[in-house]
Amino acid sequence: MLAAFSLIGFVSFMVSYIEGHHVLGTNNVIPWGMPIIITIYLIGLSAGSLILSSLTYVFGKEEYRPISRIAVFLAIVLIFGAMVGIALDLGRPEKSWRLFMFFVLNNMRSMFAVNGILYGGYFIIGLVYLGFIFGEKSKWTKVMGIIAIFWAALVHMGTGAIFGFIAARPIFYSPIKPFEFLAAAMASGLALLIIAIVSIFKFVKREFDRNIIFSLGQLLFALIIVLLILVGVDKLTHLYSPHREPTIWLLTGPFSWIFWGLQVGCAYFLPILILIYSRYKKTIKGIMIASFFVVIGIFGERFALVIPGTAHPLPFYPGKIEGIWGAAGSFPLTPIETLMSLGIFGLMGLFFLLGLKNLELLPAYKSAEQTPLPEGKG
Amino acid sequence: MVIDLDKCVGCQACTLACKAENNVPHGSPEEQRLRREIYWNKVIAVTHGKYPQVNTQLIPMPCMHCDQAPCVTVCPAKATYRREDGIIVQDFRRCIGCKYCIVACPYGARSFNSKEQEEKEYHRQDLPPDRSVWGPWPFPNRTHGVVEKCTFCFHRIDQGMKEGKKIGEEVVPACVEDCPARARSFGDLDDTRSEVSRLLSSRGWIRLREELDTKCKVYYLLK
Repeated sequence: MLAAFSLIGFVSFMVSYIEGHHVLGTNNVIPWGMPIIITIYLIGLSAGSLILSSLTYVFGKEEYRPISRIAVFLAIVLIFGAMVGIALDLGRPEKSWRLFMFFVLNNMRSMFAVNGILYGGYFIIGLVYLGFIFGEKSKWTKVMGIIAIFWAALVHMGTGAIFGFIAARPIFYSPIKPFEFLAAAMASGLALLIIAIVSIFKFVKREFDRNIIFSLGQLLFALIIVLLILVGVDKLTHLYSPHREPTIWLLTGPFSWIFWGLQVGCAYFLPILILIYSRYKKTIKGIMIASFFVVIGIFGERFALVIPGTAHPLPFYPGKIEGIWGAAGSFPLTPIETLMSLGIFGLMGLFFLLGLKNLELLPAYKSAEQTPLPEGKG
Repeated sequence: MVIDLDKCVGCQACTLACKAENNVPHGSPEEQRLRREIYWNKVIAVTHGKYPQVNTQLIPMPCMHCDQAPCVTVCPAKATYRREDGIIVQDFRRCIGCKYCIVACPYGARSFNSKEQEEKEYHRQDLPPDRSVWGPWPFPNRTHGVVEKCTFCFHRIDQGMKEGKKIGEEVVPACVEDCPARARSFGDLDDTRSEVSRLLSSRGWIRLREELDTKCKVYYLLK
């Protein structure tokens, strides 16, 4: 079924490629649509997941060892999905090789070109890292793990910088955007990891240490608080001039339900409520629900950044701009775009399941509860 | 370029002249409603106050060709770049269609070509106005999936320079040539004896969105 989704996604991509982007919901006001939202969302999940995998290999927290392999593999699959997402969004995807002609044909002042290095390097580092983990080369794994943490943090901060450095769009423009993205990445990556681990272990009917999940739940709680503070600071500073008008528009305008409902509601308040309540924070189900809300909510956060950020009309001249040039953009969800988005997720699901089947991602069976520790463990 | 807001009557002749000169596709009403029509030049109307105390300001907006252009900074593929004479051009062959420049442009001067345009009379090279003397570059058959923008009609300027004509008097962009009210003037801003320099010294002027410090080169003479 996932393969079918991928196929449908691919077909819709070909339609948009051959027909032009008028089949998508994007236009000249909102040039970035669903694929970009999904891409930054997936990069976040991926970076978060990779950073968390390092808990075992770098910080030597042996209790997290059973989940680390899954985390690294998940990170690779997610970044792959993100790159597919970017390709779907490009108007001329056959020319995307130009993004990787560093310093030769690229304008290295562009955050996109810088991110090309970051994403490409991240993909390779992730693969090498996974290779070392499978090879049980613990010394090299540790070295790669350290590189991977910094690289993953850079990757997501770079993604934030794509938005944060755009002076013309007040909702984007913010120096703390990279840090906000990083916090969101860690929170959503962790949440997805929790969901993935619990559901995989349930599915293959294996026992696992519940305490791992509980401690991860506490980590998730801390990350959400950090994220909430960063977003709060960002929006509060934006409530002052000159960013006041677009921010008020974001908080009360046509897209406010995404901001309040999905971003604030699902990503911050509901998980915090669940995780603060001691009866729920000690059950797998409670943590699962909280993680689920976070994963949905962070998607809302991306949506509430990309779409309203560009939809707000540009103030060309003081006064009320009449006609279409002063109207806020609208973003209709078109069938092709939806299918394309489902295709990305389908493709990733396919790769993830294939990986689970063919690679030794889960800890060894029954007798040994955890993967056998290598001799010279770090 | 200097635009005299006192003379502009908002007839949109510049928009149409631009579309005819540069083969910019004429969109359908549906496309315009969805904000997908390609505009290299637009005219906006800005109102102040309420009826009966109301004032409408008509502002034609080509690309501002900023000296510190945000679009040039963000383009990853060097598809949009600043020529030595200061014109910001878009190379369709290099553009990968990431649309980052549309996001970065504070003037909304850029449009994404989102569909293959059907061949219509005004797209054909062999019908008047005859464009064949300028060759296929810079406007070959359009492809969808790239970003387009105003070029200050640099094909005219380059041709004029080659023929030794005076830029700004004998050779001007299409929008300047077609303005019935002669609201637009074009010329070398660095040349103190040019018409544009004379106009700028004669009246008060503004540039749009100065707060972003783009140092743009389209000046508006105030009413």
